[in-house]
Amino acid sequence: MPRRLLDRCNPDSIREFRAAARQRFDDALALAGQGRRTGAIYLWGYTAEMTLKASYFSLIGLAETHLITWNADLQPAINRGRGLGIAWLPQGAGHNVRAWSELLVAVRALLPATTYPPPFDLEVQRRGQRIEQLWRETLRYRKNYAYLFEMRQIREATEWLLVNSHAL
Amino acid sequence: MPRKKRGVEERARPMSGDLAERLAEELRRSRESGQPVIDEQEFPTGKIRVTVIWDEWDRLPLEDRTAVILRAYDLAEGHGLRDRIALASGLTVPEAYAAGMLPFQIIPALRRDDAVTPEQCRQAMIDEGASVLLAADKPQLRFATEDEAEAARKRLAQRLPNSDQVWVITQEVGKVEDWASR
Repeated sequence: MPRRLLDRCNPDSIREFRAAARQRFDDALALAGQGRRTGAIYLWGYTAEMTLKASYFSLIGLAETHLITWNADLQPAINRGRGLGIAWLPQGAGHNVRAWSELLVAVRALLPATTYPPPFDLEVQRRGQRIEQLWRETLRYRKNYAYLFEMRQIREATEWLLVNSHAL
Repeated sequence: MPRKKRGVEERARPMSGDLAERLAEELRRSRESGQPVIDEQEFPTGKIRVTVIWDEWDRLPLEDRTAVILRAYDLAEGHGLRDRIALASGLTVPEAYAAGMLPFQIIPALRRDDAVTPEQCRQAMIDEGASVLLAADKPQLRFATEDEAEAARKRLAQRLPNSDQVWVITQEVGKVEDWASR
């Protein structure tokens, strides 16, 4: 008997985040093409989140297949961000795309070899800000219908992060 | 089939009123107290993170706030410093408080026989930089550190004679669930 979907899933890792980010981006495109705007935005937000997390954990030297857990990796990253002065609300902290983007910029700014050249740093922050204005993981509970321009803004910001993921 | 080539282009965001000019003036003057609070953190690489806590940001999108901050630095300091800014964030006082960045607060503990009135206390707190975004009649005077709060308490006592015993510093300890998730 084939294993069920959840049993076939690999644990969270940089590699899984990157691969899933690509898939969710395409899933969202398919939804957008059917006019399912809020659903598309919902998935693009996760695309951005996974892209930024993968970049951060890659930056700090985790292996591509290193098992990423809340206690060992995500919570320490959030605490580090708070320590660097990033506004990081407790609610939905793991999903705060703007804060993850700022964490990436701030940690890169700690060392000359990793610092983003201007204005790339502010561009990364800007995409995080754009997504924060339009996306929460709690969108799944909402019935509201997104405007076309809102969908476009999220798609562009997420696409930018995905296209530049090699440099993040 | 047409083949369309185009670069990624973002139009400059329109500035909101005179906020950039006002913030630039604050950068030049560097007042001891009041809003906005401009927090500059320099990284070892020389890069700078700027956080501006200011109730004037209310209802302004995050990106616009960042654009205003960058413009203000241009006006006050020239382009050189702007290139060193890696992160520029604008937060209102309630937003900064919600993010746990302002855990210290000064509250007036008025007694019946105190020589000052609630309205005098309210005005003194607003002059010191208190936020009235959440409630106009209950200004929120919050700080990142106890030292900052203590300095503000002294200024309040000077600003409002005979109010020395009125001002109390409290510290937010947060919700139990927040601590549990840390």
